[in-house]
Amino acid sequence: MKFGIAFKLGCLLAAFGVLASGVTGYYSYSSSRNLLLKAAERDLLTATQVLGRNLRGGIDAVARDALILASVAQARRLPTQPEGALRAHAENDLAELFRAQMQAHPQYMQIRLIGAGDHGLERVRVDRDGHRLLRIDRAKLQEKSHYAYLFETLSLAPGQIRLSPIVINRELGAHSGLGKPTLHVSTPVVDAGGRVVGALVINVDLDQMFDQLKSDLPSHYQVYLSNRWGDLLIHPDHRRTFGFDQGRRLFIQDEFADVARLLEGGGETSLISRHETVDSGLVAAFVRLSVNTGNSERFIILGLAQPESHVLAETSRLGQRIVQVVLLSSLLALAIAIVASRALTHPLMSITLAVQQFARERRTRPLPIHRHDELGQLARSFAQMQEEILGQLDELNQRRDALEHLARHDPLTGLPNRRVFFERLDHALASARRSAKPLAVLFVDLDHFKELNDSLGHGVGDRVLQAVANLLRSATRESDTVARLGGDEFVILIEQLDDPQQVLAVLHKLHERFQLPMLVDRHEVQVQASMGVSLFPRDGDDIESLLQQADRAMYAAKNAGRNTYNYEAQDPR
Amino acid sequence: MTRIRPLLVSLAILLPLAPGLAAGAEALRLLAWPGYADADLVERFEQRHGVAVEVTLVGNDDVLREKLSANNGGDYDLIAANTAEIHHYIEQGLLQPLQPARIANTTRQLWRFRDYPRIPGISRDGKVYAIPYTYAEMGLIYDRTQLSEPPRSIASLWDPRFQGRVLAFNGSSHAFSLAAQAAGLDPFRIEAADFPRLTERLIALRRNVLTFYAQPEEAASLFREHRVALLFANYGRQQLKQLRDQGADVGYVIPREGALAWLDCWAISRGARNMALAEAWIDFALEPPMSRALVERQGLSNTLEEPENLEGADRLIWLRPVEDAERRARLWERILSGERPPLEETP
Repeated sequence: MKFGIAFKLGCLLAAFGVLASGVTGYYSYSSSRNLLLKAAERDLLTATQVLGRNLRGGIDAVARDALILASVAQARRLPTQPEGALRAHAENDLAELFRAQMQAHPQYMQIRLIGAGDHGLERVRVDRDGHRLLRIDRAKLQEKSHYAYLFETLSLAPGQIRLSPIVINRELGAHSGLGKPTLHVSTPVVDAGGRVVGALVINVDLDQMFDQLKSDLPSHYQVYLSNRWGDLLIHPDHRRTFGFDQGRRLFIQDEFADVARLLEGGGETSLISRHETVDSGLVAAFVRLSVNTGNSERFIILGLAQPESHVLAETSRLGQRIVQVVLLSSLLALAIAIVASRALTHPLMSITLAVQQFARERRTRPLPIHRHDELGQLARSFAQMQEEILGQLDELNQRRDALEHLARHDPLTGLPNRRVFFERLDHALASARRSAKPLAVLFVDLDHFKELNDSLGHGVGDRVLQAVANLLRSATRESDTVARLGGDEFVILIEQLDDPQQVLAVLHKLHERFQLPMLVDRHEVQVQASMGVSLFPRDGDDIESLLQQADRAMYAAKNAGRNTYNYEAQDPR
Repeated sequence: MTRIRPLLVSLAILLPLAPGLAAGAEALRLLAWPGYADADLVERFEQRHGVAVEVTLVGNDDVLREKLSANNGGDYDLIAANTAEIHHYIEQGLLQPLQPARIANTTRQLWRFRDYPRIPGISRDGKVYAIPYTYAEMGLIYDRTQLSEPPRSIASLWDPRFQGRVLAFNGSSHAFSLAAQAAGLDPFRIEAADFPRLTERLIALRRNVLTFYAQPEEAASLFREHRVALLFANYGRQQLKQLRDQGADVGYVIPREGALAWLDCWAISRGARNMALAEAWIDFALEPPMSRALVERQGLSNTLEEPENLEGADRLIWLRPVEDAERRARLWERILSGERPPLEETP
């Protein structure tokens, strides 16, 4: 009984409740976490695609500017016009136009018209230098024939645009553009005969361009950009960009392994990838943007990343709420378990108590018999069993009492028999000795009963004996004992005598009653008796002597002619 | 029971020793370049000598310098570095001299890799500090479909017939060395007075080339897309292999002026814990399996056999520190930016 059924049941119910709410909580948490992650990934991918479109839009705008400027240069017959005032004038006008463009577009670092001849000598060049725009002196113009943005552009058809690989601009004298990640947007310039005679090149500062593009994005989005080999061009950690410029290549696919699939140029154009860092993971979306079809730099990879922790902040809030709900429902489950186990064990307890009390004291206690469940049934069964047991016990007791009565009483008259009389006499003698109060033993013997029996029959004899018994009882006190010793012999024990003379009164009263005829079965019968008395302590102080003395006194009365009584002390013979 | 007892006793004696044995197992600590100590080959050495080998890989000279000098050479037993770097480490006192005679497999090496006094940078005061292991030379790659005759001289890079079809390397030090070679000067010791004419030579080169490349992949795609005829192979045979793999019909020559070449050697750090084990590693590296892996897996050359089909292997010029790297870099930036001659140097 160390752990009762209530405790065990409570534990079981509570454990089940807690488990059920815990499991439910966990599943709802993990599924909503997945949903949130998926939604975040979708958002990220959409944002990346939008950023890609904006990037392309930005590049297209630069390309349009380049085409307009190239057409102006062509209209002014630059750069093939011979030296002279006319040419200087045209170049000045073009420089003004470059300046105007650069004022409108802060991301333009440099605009140049470069000739195909003279080893790619620059013809007109405007640089950004801080807040100023500088027209470069003729003497400081440089030869650019060995740069791909020139020699590849010169091989294009008029109206075509070339986008360069993005590199760090290392061309000395580039002013603000020096050391900046740069995209060269270039287009060929043709002469009247349609021959390519030069190129128009706009240098775009990638950082500024992305600063503009990024301004619409949430601040926790990190931008990644790589060229077609995966070399990092834009990275949250500036030190990791343009590694190839310092002789060590750092690849985006080393951080986001999945991007390798985009670089290989399969069917995919976008994907989601993850990067585990020491403290937190990054989830990122990447798109492949085609920029230069037919060129080795035919695409770039654009990516947006955000810390997984940022996405999961939402889910951790959700998680906390779910934990609260789980805790509350667990407490509720615990409370319900306690109540339920009580409700079950309380009736069991009361039945147990009832059984124990019944076993101990044969007394019934209230049982939960009005319940409509198994416990009610048990209680009802038990109550029924109790009743049956009690009924049988009562019957047994009655029978025992009857038997006992039979053993101690004369069946004919209902008077106590000889055995009872001797017990009472013994008892009376003991108390008489203590209280020193006398007692009397009175023998009554019917006269001529044998003749009466013979003449009127046993039936009438029995009636007579019953009538005598009634007579003797009616003439004595309740506390006195009237017993039938056998045949027609009766004895009366009179206790607690204050005065032995009282016995005389009793004798007298009895004698008188015997003088009256009795009506027995319509027979008028005259029954008389001889009576003898012995007194304690006058005639003896034990049963034997008292009985002998009473017997002698009775015989003395018989000898004296019957129908009388003898009170005197008898001489022992 | 009586039979088991001796066993138990011996176990009781041996067991406490077991961890001690493991902890005492020696580790050989290598600082090397990718491809110099591949895991499968390292495992053979470990089994043969019952030691562990810890390989730390580096990707450039600067990282190697940083790692070796971090604990005064105490963190590594062996390093692999080129002759110019070895020279630097000897100056810094980070290496200890070794005795080639104790490394049996040096006898397998080609004579020119055992002629220690003639290999620049690896000896000092008559003591040898490094054993050559692998090398690559910077020869010329040419398109056999465009050039019927292989180019004989570095001067071909300036040949106006190939104008716009030459690829040169974008590196200040090598560019000036190349110009000096072409001018018949010491490529690593350019006199101050020679700089203006070499600068002009390089401007002339700039006007003759298609462009200057930095990465071998870049060179390969330029070669393919722009009908390049002649290429200065800064990455040597590696580039030759790359182009041939692309299907280009190319040849490779060592010009008569000789080809610049880097030579990587094994050297024992001052902090080496077990000299004999370090020597055993070098000996192992000079066995055919290790040395052939350099050729087969990396496209490098080893010191045991001459590369196939190459004439002029004796004309290699091992790289040495140059007289003034900063000056070369400063001038090269201006040349590359497209400045027109003459370039005035401001003091």
